[in-house]
Amino acid sequence: MPTDVAQHAAPDLASRLAALVGERRVLARPSELRSYESDGLPGYHARPALAVFPGTRDETIAVVRLLAELDAPFVARGAGTGLSGGALAEGSVLLGLHRLTRILSIDADDARAVVEPGVVNATLSRAAAAFGLHYAPDPSSQTACTIGGNVAENAGGPHCLKYGVTLNHVLAITVLLPSGEVVTLGSADGERDGYDLLGAFIGSEGCFGVALDVTVRLARAPQAVRTLLADFSSVNSAAHAVSSIIASGIIPAAMEMMDGPTIQAVEASIYAAGYPVDAAAILLIELDGAAAGIDDDAARVDAFCRDAGARGVRIAAAPAERARLWQGRKKAFGAMGRIAPNLVVQDAVVPRTKLPAILAEIQRIAELHRVLVCNVFHAGDGNLHPNIGYDATSADETERVHRAMAAIMQACIDAGGTITGEHGIGLDKLPYMDALFTPATLGAMCALREVFDPGRRSNPGKVVPVHSCREWFAAPSARAGGAS
Amino acid sequence: MVRRAIGTRRRCQLNAPPVSDVTAALAERVRHAHVTGTALRITGAGHWLDAGRPCRADASLPLAEHTGIVEYEPGDLTMTVRAGTPLDALRAVARGEGQWLPLDPFGHLGGTIGATIATASSGPLSAAFGTPRDHVLGCEFITGTGNVVRAGGRVVKNVAGFDLVRLVTGAWGTLGVLTEVSIRLRALPEIDRTLALETTAGEARRWLRASAYTPLAAEMISARLATDMGIGSRDTLLLRLGGNRALVHAAAESASALAGSRDVDTTVWDTLRTREPADAAVVRLSTSSSQVAALWDRVASIVERAGGHAHATLQRGIVRCMLPVQSDDAEEHARLRGIVGALLTLGSSVVERLPSSLWAKMVPPAASDALSIGVRRAFDPGHVLNPGILGELA
Repeated sequence: MPTDVAQHAAPDLASRLAALVGERRVLARPSELRSYESDGLPGYHARPALAVFPGTRDETIAVVRLLAELDAPFVARGAGTGLSGGALAEGSVLLGLHRLTRILSIDADDARAVVEPGVVNATLSRAAAAFGLHYAPDPSSQTACTIGGNVAENAGGPHCLKYGVTLNHVLAITVLLPSGEVVTLGSADGERDGYDLLGAFIGSEGCFGVALDVTVRLARAPQAVRTLLADFSSVNSAAHAVSSIIASGIIPAAMEMMDGPTIQAVEASIYAAGYPVDAAAILLIELDGAAAGIDDDAARVDAFCRDAGARGVRIAAAPAERARLWQGRKKAFGAMGRIAPNLVVQDAVVPRTKLPAILAEIQRIAELHRVLVCNVFHAGDGNLHPNIGYDATSADETERVHRAMAAIMQACIDAGGTITGEHGIGLDKLPYMDALFTPATLGAMCALREVFDPGRRSNPGKVVPVHSCREWFAAPSARAGGAS
Repeated sequence: MVRRAIGTRRRCQLNAPPVSDVTAALAERVRHAHVTGTALRITGAGHWLDAGRPCRADASLPLAEHTGIVEYEPGDLTMTVRAGTPLDALRAVARGEGQWLPLDPFGHLGGTIGATIATASSGPLSAAFGTPRDHVLGCEFITGTGNVVRAGGRVVKNVAGFDLVRLVTGAWGTLGVLTEVSIRLRALPEIDRTLALETTAGEARRWLRASAYTPLAAEMISARLATDMGIGSRDTLLLRLGGNRALVHAAAESASALAGSRDVDTTVWDTLRTREPADAAVVRLSTSSSQVAALWDRVASIVERAGGHAHATLQRGIVRCMLPVQSDDAEEHARLRGIVGALLTLGSSVVERLPSSLWAKMVPPAASDALSIGVRRAFDPGHVLNPGILGELA
C-alpha cells in the first residue's frame, strides 16, 4: 500500500472532509495522528493519511460517499481496543465512529435495543439494567469497546459459553456500504427468506462496510447466580475438570481458567481478587438461571472439580465477592503490565478435549523459546489466550516471542483448532490463513468481499492474504460463465 | 509493519485434509454442469425437495448416498457428518453418548442434515437452541464452478476469515452444494418433560416473559391440531422442560399455575413434526414476540376455518400455518390463493410449501436485492445450482 494513497486521491481531501464534519473533526498533521497509529495490538505502528470523526449518521454517510467518489481507502475504527491490528489504517483515511453514541431505543417487552455503532458495550448493559436486561456478549474490554467494533470482530467474552457470541445477539444492521449505499441486513420484526447476509457481515472486520445502527437482542437478568472458584495444583487437572463439566450437560454461564503466572500477576496488582497465589491454575465457573436447582448444579460442579484433583472449591455468595472475583479475571491483561512493558494477547481455539495436551505443548514451546506465557482464557469453549509479556526494545526477545507465537498457532491448527476465536484476523493473523484454509476457500472469501466492496477500499489488506485474492480472480474457473 | 510468516505453509493442514473421492466426483459433475450450462437440482433424501418452488433442472445431483459420520468426539460435543446423513440416524448415534442435536425441522424425521442446513429449517426447539445458523460450525461445499470450499472449522468458537458458513446456511443450495457439515451437539438434559396446558397464546406468552425458566420449547397448538395429536380439544400450549430434577419440578409447578396441566409423552414432538401431509401448503408468519399472541388470534381461526391447523413458536414470534391441498384443480388453487393471500398480509412471511403453479404468482423472489444477486453471481455464475428455487430470475 502506498503510504499517501488517500491524499493522492485528492490533495484537498482534508478540507473537503472538514466541510462535511467541521474543521476540528479532521486530523491531518502527523503529530495529531500519532494516537491513531496503533490499536490494541502491540508492536505495530501505521500512520493513517488522515483521520475523520463524523458526529452523526448523516455525516458518516456523507463522508463515505465522498471517499467513494474519490476512490479513497478507509478504515472504520471504534474504540481501537481490537487485538489483531484490524483498525490500523496505513495510508488510508481513518473513519472514527466513537462519536456515534446514541442508544436509539430500548424495547423492554421484546428485549431488544437499537444502538449506534459507537455505543460502548458496558454502557448499553447499564442502560438496559433499568429494565432488568443486559447485553450478553462481554469482552474483557467491555468498558471501552464499542458495539460497532463488536459486530466487526464478532466479539465474544466469558459469558459467551452459555449465551453465544455477537452473531447470536444481533437481529439487524443498517449498513453503509463502501459505495455509500445504505442497506438493511437481517430483520428485527420477523423472519424473511433469502441469504443470511447479516451473518456474513458480522465478523467481516470492517471489510464489508460500516454499521450505522445495530438492533441487538437483550438478555434477562438471571434469577440466581453462583460463582465458584476452584483451585488446582496442576493445569492438567483443571483442564480435566473442564471436560467433565462440559460432558455432564451442565452449561455454565462462564468457565474461565487462569494459570499460575497470571494469578500471581493479578494478585500483585490493584485488581487482587483473593485468588490462591500458590495454585497452578484456577477455574472461575459461573452458573446462572432459575434459583430452583442451581445449588444442585453447583454441588455437581464442585464434585467434578474435586474429582479432577481440585485442592479446594469456594462458592462466592455475595454479589460484592462475585464482582471481585470477576474483576481479577477481566483486568488480568492489565495486571500483566506489571510483568513486562509489552504484552501480546493471543487468541486461538482447540477442541475442548485437546486442552490438557495443548496447554502442555504451549509450555514446551515457551521453554524452547525462553519466553513466559501467561494463560487466561475461556476454557469452556476451548478458546485459549496464551499471552506473552516481553520487552519490545530487545530485538532478540521480540524475535523469540514471534517464533513462540507462530509455533503456538501451528500447534492449535495441528490440534484441529483455529487461529482466532474472538479477536479476528486483522493484520496479525494473516500469515497463518494459508495454513488454515485451502486456496479455494480463501478465494471464496475474496469473492464474497468483492460483492460488498468491489473496490476493496474498506479496510484494505486485512483478513484474507492479498495473494489469495489475486490467484482466485486470475483463475479462469472463477470468472467463467456469467450467464446471469 | 512487517511480521514474518514463519514456515507455516510447509506444515500439514489438519483442517484441510484431502478432499474425499466422493466430494471430488461431485465437484467434477458440477464443474461439467457449469461448462455445459446444465441446471442441477440438488437432492437429499427427497422428502422435502423444492417444496413446490419453481426450480428448473436438467439433471439431478443426488447426495442421499453421501452418508456417514466423518468424525465424532463426544467429549468435544461436535460431530462432522456427510451431508446426506439422515437426521434420525444422527440422532441415534448421538443418543448413544447422551447427546443430541437439538434441531427438529418439520417434515420427515429422516430428512438429511444437508437439507436441514441448506434450507435453514428448524422446529420448536429453536426457541431455546436457535436455528441451523447457531448449530453449524463448519462445512464443505462445492461452488457453482466446481470449487471445493471448506469453511469454518470443527471448534465451537471461530472467527477466522469471512463467514462463508452462515452464507450457505439457508441458501437452498444456490451458492454451493453442501457435502459435509460440522455441527455442535448438546448433552441431553437430565430430565426431559413435556406438559400440555389448555391456555391462550396471550396467557402463555405472558407466563414465558415473566418466568425465570427457559423451556426447551413452548409451542402453541391450534385446537384441531391438538385434537389430531390426541392432546386436547382446544388451543393448547406444549411446554418442554429440561434440566435437573429440582429445576424441572419447579418450572412445572409454576406453569401449572397458568392452567391445568398434564404430562404427555415426549414423542408428542415427533408427532408434531410429522403431522402435515407432504403436499400441504405451509406458510410461516412472524412478528416480534410481543405481537405474537395478537398474530395467533388472527391467524389460527382463519386457518382452522379453512380446514388447516396452526402452531406457534412463541418466543421466536413465529406462527406456522398448514393448509391441506384437496385437489390439483383450478378451483382449489383459487381457494388456496385467497387464504394464503390473506395470511401473507398479516405478518412478515416465509412460504415453505405451495403448489408450484401458485408459487410464482404469490411469492416474491427471496434474493432479488443487489447484494444477493452479486453473491449468487460470485458463487454460481452459470446459475446451475437449483436455479429458480429462490424465485429468482436466471
